[in-house]
Amino acid sequence: MDKKIGVYICTGCGIGEALDVEQLSNLAKSECHAALCRSHANLCGPEGSQLIKDDIANEGVNSLIIAACSQRVMYDVFDFEGTILDRVNFREQIAWTHPPKDEDTQMMAEDYLRMSGAKMSAMLPLEPFKPEQEMSTDILVIGGGVTGMTAALEAAKAGYNAVLVEQEADLGGFQKNVTKNVVFPFKDVQENEIAQLAASVKNNEKITVLTGSKVEKLAGGPCVFNATVKQNGTTSDHKIGAVVMAAGWKPYDPAKLDKRFGYGDSPNVVTNVQFEERAKAGKLTRPSDDRALKTVAFIQCAGQRDPKHLAYCSSICCFTALKQAIQVKQQDPKANVMVFYQEMRTPGQGEDFFRKAQSEGVIFVRAQAPEVLNVGGKLAVEAFDELLGDTILLDDVDLVVLATGMVPATAFGEDYKAKKPDDGEKKNEMVSSVDSIFISDILNLEYRQGPELPELKNGFPDSHFICFPYESRRTGIYPAGPVRRPMGVSNAIEDATGAAMKAIQCVELTSKGMAVHPRAGDQSYPEFFMQRCTQCKRCTEECPFGAINEDEKGNPLPQPTRCRRCGVCMGACPERIISFKNYSVAMIGDMIKSINVPDEYDEKPRILIFCCENDAMPALDMAGLRRMQYNSWVRVIPLRCLGSLNLVWIADSLSKGIDGIMLLGCRHGDNYQCHFIKGSELANIRLSKVSETLDRLALESDRVRFEEISITDYAKVPGLLDEFAEKLVEIGANPFKGF
Amino acid sequence: MSNRVDLNLIRELEEFGLKDAGKCYNCGNCTAICDLSTPENPFPRKMVRYVQLGQKELILKSPEPWLCYYCGDCSIRCPREADPGETMMVLRRYLTSLYDWTGFSKRFYTSEKFEELAVGVIGGLVGLGMIIWAIANWSGINWAHADVSSVWSTEGIEKADLAMAGILSFFLLTNLYRCVKLVMGDYIKKVPLRMYWEEVKYLLVQFATQKQFDGCKTKGNRQRWIAHLAIMTGYASIFLLVVVFINGLPFMGIDVLKFQRGWASMGGRAEISIFNPLRLIGYYSFFAIMYGTTYVIISRLKKTQPQFKNTHSTDWMFLILLQATAITGIFINLGHIFDWVFFTYAIYVIHMMVAIPMLVLEVPFAKWAHLAYRPVVLMLMKVKGKFIAQQEQAKEAVLAPEVAV
Repeated sequence: MDKKIGVYICTGCGIGEALDVEQLSNLAKSECHAALCRSHANLCGPEGSQLIKDDIANEGVNSLIIAACSQRVMYDVFDFEGTILDRVNFREQIAWTHPPKDEDTQMMAEDYLRMSGAKMSAMLPLEPFKPEQEMSTDILVIGGGVTGMTAALEAAKAGYNAVLVEQEADLGGFQKNVTKNVVFPFKDVQENEIAQLAASVKNNEKITVLTGSKVEKLAGGPCVFNATVKQNGTTSDHKIGAVVMAAGWKPYDPAKLDKRFGYGDSPNVVTNVQFEERAKAGKLTRPSDDRALKTVAFIQCAGQRDPKHLAYCSSICCFTALKQAIQVKQQDPKANVMVFYQEMRTPGQGEDFFRKAQSEGVIFVRAQAPEVLNVGGKLAVEAFDELLGDTILLDDVDLVVLATGMVPATAFGEDYKAKKPDDGEKKNEMVSSVDSIFISDILNLEYRQGPELPELKNGFPDSHFICFPYESRRTGIYPAGPVRRPMGVSNAIEDATGAAMKAIQCVELTSKGMAVHPRAGDQSYPEFFMQRCTQCKRCTEECPFGAINEDEKGNPLPQPTRCRRCGVCMGACPERIISFKNYSVAMIGDMIKSINVPDEYDEKPRILIFCCENDAMPALDMAGLRRMQYNSWVRVIPLRCLGSLNLVWIADSLSKGIDGIMLLGCRHGDNYQCHFIKGSELANIRLSKVSETLDRLALESDRVRFEEISITDYAKVPGLLDEFAEKLVEIGANPFKGF
Repeated sequence: MSNRVDLNLIRELEEFGLKDAGKCYNCGNCTAICDLSTPENPFPRKMVRYVQLGQKELILKSPEPWLCYYCGDCSIRCPREADPGETMMVLRRYLTSLYDWTGFSKRFYTSEKFEELAVGVIGGLVGLGMIIWAIANWSGINWAHADVSSVWSTEGIEKADLAMAGILSFFLLTNLYRCVKLVMGDYIKKVPLRMYWEEVKYLLVQFATQKQFDGCKTKGNRQRWIAHLAIMTGYASIFLLVVVFINGLPFMGIDVLKFQRGWASMGGRAEISIFNPLRLIGYYSFFAIMYGTTYVIISRLKKTQPQFKNTHSTDWMFLILLQATAITGIFINLGHIFDWVFFTYAIYVIHMMVAIPMLVLEVPFAKWAHLAYRPVVLMLMKVKGKFIAQQEQAKEAVLAPEVAV
């Protein structure tokens, strides 16, 4: 396609007052190869956008450089089909943050226009990815409990076919063994309606129910998954679009509990799960002799919130204990029921259920370490009651119920890392922390990084709660229900609905050749120039989403529908053979080269900022919105993810004479906020290698700096930049200037 | 040693009128709002926790129920509507029953039937006794003029009064002793007698005025205190006249105080002068008791204030007997004034049938026992507080030189 570039400069929102637009127009024509350049006082208004539309229609303009506001706003107005678009942020990053009609401000605008020109010449029109196979929009649901059934039903209601795989002979999961449960509005115990749910799933013609079955192999990617399901000795293949994984949970093994809980010492010490079994069998009696229950003690947090056992709160056991206590009380109002808790956790309207238990006469004792004792052949519970400030002894106890917690089905099995044969290669220092993947025999993915979902924490395959609700780190696979995090029926239903929605979004976007969240709608995808590949495996190792498989020789086999288009592979590749049509190592290199670096005697140092588009750039925009002033020496290049930073850009910048480089990324490590999970961590690791490069060039390593910035840190940004600028003045100018 | 939990306690207390203590989640708003709660004796939250945890032993040792005058602020402020004020009231009933070694009190509180039967039986026996006595003395009865002492001799009534007072005092004082022992615990042996003696004045002031009651700053509390004071002073003064001075103090030769005089001794008149101070005190008593009891009865019927919302059967019994005593008492006086012979004698019997069960049951075993428990516990707390302060001072004095170095 022959590009005919049109440059449009908006003069509204203070841009016209801050900059010499006439001069910029001339520059656009002379340096950006623009066929035409127009300015308008309100480019985002109907008149302004009509101006652009007219040029597209009449002048044949097909490549647009729009120098106006941030790319984060007005994206719906500046959306012209069939064109290549680049936005230059004259408003937030220049007019609102720098003094008007100033020499430095004008130079900044000129540089941004040049950078955009360089970018424009490197960008190619997008062609959405179309796989060779036919794409499926069917949704595979693994697990036939409350979550799985709800997800299948919701997908079916939205018009999608669902395949429901359940390992047991009947649908229902854990809940099918529960007589009564507690759900919204949390006023009283309720009859369990699991049977009705199972019936409506079975009767739904859009849902294929496969009981007594399991997924033996899951290969491919979103819309081109091939699921091999084994049922009663026969296997069948299913073409799948996306997966909802509702594999559920298993109770924590009570035999592992501390001695003080007394489990195993008496048949009258049971777990909350065993209580459910007894309730189902209609035997709410003393287990040792089936006598009526007179005194029952519930002990909460049996092994939970204890780093030696389960480090987390299972969130449902308080509800369960309240429910079971009420069941005992409703069976015999004269029975004595005491609940020993560390903290009673009944969030939201669940508080009403706590009150319900109180009004039924259940007595609550806050105690950190209650102990089950044997007093004269009878059970007793001793605890330090914090409200009494003294130790109490409840003796003659007929039944002790221990609140053991939820362990996700994904937490079982050997760690893939440990099992992987050590191929004798020297461990690559550039590689980020490796995720734990337990071989839990649920998905059996044919993925190079491991057969199951990576854990976030404590064996739960969750993803970052804020950035990726309902998501995992494998595109198109959405864990839901207690396998994702501990939860009860009410939350599981909500979770299943959310996961079904995510799965639907996934198949819809993928079938149009688009990326899913967070770059939803992006039609670019990475392309590999395989002739130059050295089989170093860095791309296959480092892809945060395990999107790239490998052949036996170590060649990457990209699976674009699994890709989230972050560009981490592009940043990782030492041979720079991975690029997108509109984002590549060479393109950013050209942008760096287009910056006009004044020579040393002008005393105008230049600072290049590589900033993450998702967090750091919004922070810079926020600083602009607040009209905060910051250093005019900076030039910002937004990156899809800081993980796509290729080290060659640092070398490019320094040899160009840029005095300092700052990387602005998201928080990494525990509680990471990175949209692509490991991007900023990877950038930081790669940066540690930069000092060697700097030494080679005889440069000070202080010239390159990494900072973590989240959106809310916008107020810190100006100070950070000024401080860096001062430091650079101290170090002195880059000796490579003018080479 | 850990404190044994007796979860049956909460059900036992239900018989004493406990309702909502189980709802309490121990936030402590009740203790924070209470004007009378102190750091040394905080309540009501602590007491509610004792109830929830079935801590009978701890409740038994607690002075706190007697320090509460039930202004009801805690029950108004309680976010859980657990009615802590009523829990304190229940604990006062419960403690009264526990202090009583005869076990009579417990039955009286926990069984409405027993309560009615006890009042009925004692009233009946008193009536029967009075009639037998009258028949035995048939010939001496003055049928021409109303003269109660001609039927039941003043000396005889005096002896009976003394006997009754002796028995009542015996029960009340033995129960009170148990109360003191329990509340003081180990301190009872440590605190020197002199310290108790020093606080006798405080005891008497509290007994006579219930000054502590007025310490509640709640709106409307002053009226309750005045009504309470009216009942207390009214009853105490008429009690003195009718029981103690019925025959004057003949052994001391003082006749002026003699309350019940015969026709002959008054020179052919049925009643002493209306301006006689004894008569005036009598009228004060009647009006004070009537004012106080009517105020309480109306409040209990209206149930607008928390402390009047829950009325135990013993509360009604107490009020009815009290008012009936006052009314029959004033009728005796009217009978004498108008010289209605038979009416006077009959009402006298009825008066005795009401007043005696009231005294016999309520004073040692029920609500009226608080006349002894409250001021005594208040005094004990003062004594204990002073003793502990002294001990600490002594300790500091020993440590002080070291600090100075």
